[in-house]
Amino acid sequence: MMTRLLMGSASAAALALMLAAAPAVAQNVLRLDEVPVGELDPALASDYADSLLMFNVYDTLVLPAQGSPGHVPHLATGWEIDGATFTFTLRDDVTFHSGNPMTAEDVVFSIERMKALGMGLSFLLASVDSAEAVDTHTVRITLSAPYTPFIASLVRVPIVDKTTVMANLGTGEGEMGDWGQAYLSANSAGTGAYSVTSHNPQEETVMTLNAAYFGEVAEGAPSEVRLRYGLEPATVRAMVARGEHDISSQWLPPEVMVALAGEGAQFLQESGTGAFYIKLNTQKAPLDDVNCRLALAAAFDYQTAIAITKITDDVAGGVPATGAVPVGMFGANGPDMAMAQDLEAAQAHLANCAYTPSDHTLELSWIAEVAIEERFALLMQQSFATLGFNTEIVRVPWVLFTERVTSPETTPHISQVFVTATTGDPDTLLYPMYHSSTAGTWQSPEYLNDLEVDALLEAGRTAPDEAGREAAYAGLNARLMALAPTIYGFDRNSVFAASTRVSAPALTDPAQAFGLDGMGFSFRLMTVTE
Amino acid sequence: MKRAAFILAANPLTLVGVMLVMLVVMAAALADVIAPFPAHRGAVVDFLNFNKPPGGDYLMGTDVVGRDLFSRILYAYRISLLMAVVVLAIAVPIGVTLGLMAGYLGGRWEYGLMRVTDVFLSIPPLVLALSILGVLKPTLLNGMIAITAMWWPWYTRLVYNITRGEKAEGYVLAAEVTGASRAHVMFREILPNCLPAIVTKMTLDAGFVILIASSLSFLGLGVQAPTPDLGSMVAEGARYLPDQWWLSVFPGLAILVAVFGFNLIGDGLRDILGGDR
Amino acid sequence: MLTILRQILQRIGMSLLVLWGVSVLIFAIARVIPGNPARVALGPNATAEQVDALARMLHLDRSIFIQYGFWLRDLLRGDLGRSLYTNRPVTQDIAEFLPATLELITVAAVLMIVVGLPLGILAARYRGRWPDHLVRVLSLLTVSAPSFVWAVVLMLCFAYFLPIFPIAGRLSEAFDIPRTTGFLSIDTLLAGNLAAFADAAHHIVLPAIALSLSGIGQAARLTRANMIETYDKPYIEMAQAYGFPDGRIARIYAFRPSLIPSLTIIGLDIAALLGNAFLVEAVFGWPGLSRYGVQVILRKDLNAIVGTVLIIAAMFLIVNIIVDILTVLLNPRIRHGEARP
Repeated sequence: MMTRLLMGSASAAALALMLAAAPAVAQNVLRLDEVPVGELDPALASDYADSLLMFNVYDTLVLPAQGSPGHVPHLATGWEIDGATFTFTLRDDVTFHSGNPMTAEDVVFSIERMKALGMGLSFLLASVDSAEAVDTHTVRITLSAPYTPFIASLVRVPIVDKTTVMANLGTGEGEMGDWGQAYLSANSAGTGAYSVTSHNPQEETVMTLNAAYFGEVAEGAPSEVRLRYGLEPATVRAMVARGEHDISSQWLPPEVMVALAGEGAQFLQESGTGAFYIKLNTQKAPLDDVNCRLALAAAFDYQTAIAITKITDDVAGGVPATGAVPVGMFGANGPDMAMAQDLEAAQAHLANCAYTPSDHTLELSWIAEVAIEERFALLMQQSFATLGFNTEIVRVPWVLFTERVTSPETTPHISQVFVTATTGDPDTLLYPMYHSSTAGTWQSPEYLNDLEVDALLEAGRTAPDEAGREAAYAGLNARLMALAPTIYGFDRNSVFAASTRVSAPALTDPAQAFGLDGMGFSFRLMTVTE
Repeated sequence: MKRAAFILAANPLTLVGVMLVMLVVMAAALADVIAPFPAHRGAVVDFLNFNKPPGGDYLMGTDVVGRDLFSRILYAYRISLLMAVVVLAIAVPIGVTLGLMAGYLGGRWEYGLMRVTDVFLSIPPLVLALSILGVLKPTLLNGMIAITAMWWPWYTRLVYNITRGEKAEGYVLAAEVTGASRAHVMFREILPNCLPAIVTKMTLDAGFVILIASSLSFLGLGVQAPTPDLGSMVAEGARYLPDQWWLSVFPGLAILVAVFGFNLIGDGLRDILGGDR
Repeated sequence: MLTILRQILQRIGMSLLVLWGVSVLIFAIARVIPGNPARVALGPNATAEQVDALARMLHLDRSIFIQYGFWLRDLLRGDLGRSLYTNRPVTQDIAEFLPATLELITVAAVLMIVVGLPLGILAARYRGRWPDHLVRVLSLLTVSAPSFVWAVVLMLCFAYFLPIFPIAGRLSEAFDIPRTTGFLSIDTLLAGNLAAFADAAHHIVLPAIALSLSGIGQAARLTRANMIETYDKPYIEMAQAYGFPDGRIARIYAFRPSLIPSLTIIGLDIAALLGNAFLVEAVFGWPGLSRYGVQVILRKDLNAIVGTVLIIAAMFLIVNIIVDILTVLLNPRIRHGEARP
């Protein structure tokens, strides 16, 4: 009796609560998600989520041009190049979120900080010998060696507020302590269009529009942006359908994207700066024999791989690869030379290989956070089985993968990675992957050690004009195809499902695309309607 | 025996349990014959037929790479049953022996063994298995090791409690007086009296092992692709809710059927054999 | 009374001993991991010198006994080390995620008792008739599937096909509640935001049900079995002979004594919820300690693994102690010193 009464009143109360609980959606909020962790410290940033944060919370000296190659001034008003010396003139009307004005001192500090910490994308500044503030709004940077894509690398060097960082140095060795890492991983000290209101690297970062921003802000740009981390695909799918989420991450499986499109979602796309690579460990038998590698490369089912990424007839996550260099970059082969499976050629290569396939089990890894890679793994398992290879499929979380590749013995035979040019320039795509000095990172599990490749990479980054660079990379392309350290799965097209209340021209109109992964997510250029 | 049959008849649910379990065992044993696509348990992909809903050639639909779900579930039952058999075959003898020793030998044996047992028992089973599997590579063998490691303490405690009670009984004293060795007393005198409780628990545990194993593989620590496994299949399928609902519902149902069967039998055994302490 | 107190203290002492044993066990397991945690922590772009420096700082170059010693010393100072996954102190991570799991478990435990016990009583009361059979089959069913299966089914039915409940998370985005206790039910009330309270309740319903289902089944079966046993006792027969009303007999004479043996198992089941929470939190994206635990285990984040398991074991032990205390208090024979617990 009592129980019945209790249950009755409980359910009545629950019903009342449910009806009352209808949260009001705040006006003009943009909600999107990415894979965790979101690293807020720009000197430590390297992943996609980190880039999203960096591009909106901080500014750089230059920005990539929209719709065409090249770079345009941003924090700098212009620059002069004199051999290995670059002199930048800075804007004088920029203030940090703290209120401090942006000066040359901050630029110099940012460069020195990034170099000193030596993490994230600091390798971009490896050729920088010195940076000095000539006056409050002029910076001179001197390189120790010629580095033609230097301007391009500056899109990844955000300018931090020196005064704020110096006031918040944490414990560490030396007088600079931790260079403010603890502070900058939790707070922003930038000039960007958005400032960080709250930041939980596992859960969510909330950003609000900076009313005093110096640059272009679209009418109707979101006043608040909520970037959430680690949402399950089913969750994202349901939330977008219900209007509780605006832009998905690029890692949603194609079926889910299709389902969302069926309910009226639009697709945002970003492409041209990277590819899907199937990386072969050239130091582990049987893949230390180039013929076995060529056999695998010929046996890979390129067409089916692209079909796996297909979302609609017009939209797919992949575009046919034509060689080692993505279409559109220096040295790429024309789109008519798409790679295709050729089992006869594979058998021919295999005959030249010194190893017997059945003697070896190939370890094939896929990144746990990227579900679609499992399908490619299964596809490869089937294709390679026709050649007589046994494969063992291993699921590896990203963090563990980056750790495993630090030595050739622990690196899997075959790994799958999506790699993009961090600055949009082919040097930042190919140098970290193939130069003998950069082996052993997540970009270079191939452990390639080839003098000709090294020479061509050096030529690519020091050639003074475009023709020279084109020649170098064309030569590199040919050499890499002959060495087959990697199977070039497809050129990558990142696709995001979005509700129709978002308009993002940088991600829908090729004439406004940045040509740099992640920069299309400059929230200030988006419009959010009700 | 007649009594058992009588109780069974009065307890139709137990009969249902027996039938369900036999169904599962036969499905696993005869998978090669029953499965419409036996090759789909291995390295097969068929992207032309992926994500097909149940019907036609594919009784329970196909998964994201085009493999027949029904065939894979049949083979997955093999893994589940294998797990249950192996884990229990190892954990039970170890646990029972330790429990007998702790209960009968007393003294320092009792104190030491039961404290160790307590340590293992105070970590929720899943957590312990997870920690072990987190260290080792996720394979079938390591999964079995992890689950066995957390299973034996339950039997130790069960047998320990019973042994403590039986220690003072007349038949034990009689055996001791006539000069029986300690091992004889433990294994030939006391153990038979523990058997009903042990057997009941084992039957229930068979289902429980399947549960835990599927939970572990649900979390990503089970066998690796392409080997079919019920827990991983549910986890995979959960990503594609609600559109490809069959991907997680059918494997989930498969788990339910197997464990339900074992539980029904276990309940029936409890009634027949007179309850466990 | 003194004897009870002494026994409780004994139990606490024993539990501390066990907890120490757990720490040794988990520490040993965690340290066997292949791979270099320092490298994992610093990420892909760190130099070899930086990795070595961090390894030295984490005492990774010393023997495992010394490492344990350092760890124990830090533990007694309240420092569980730094998580490589979140790059924060583990204690901070635990403080952030534990309340979410505790809240979920509390609601699930309440459901277990409020739904499971009455169902068991119902089954016992109408023994042999259809309510009994129904309850028995239902409770067996709920026990027979892992909680993640129920979670998926519930999600499908009540969040997708019938979109009554939210899919994931603890609270809708629109609400910004300052976290004082970490328990949303309390924090929302403290902030005076009733709509947020209702929203939080809305979010917790499905995960709590999924988590409690097997516990409800278990509680129902146990209560039924114990009640039946009690009903066979002579004093019940006496009460019936005296003509006491059925309801009174059920509530006072049958239920209370059967509660005691049920309580132990139910207590263990509540503690087991801690383990099952892993599965439910994964499906519903519940930001709790269990989900965190899975992430760090998959990433071999040593400090976080050890810290998390230790806390969970401690909770387990605490629940056991509470159950023991309650058993003692509820048993009038023990209370009045007539029987030993």
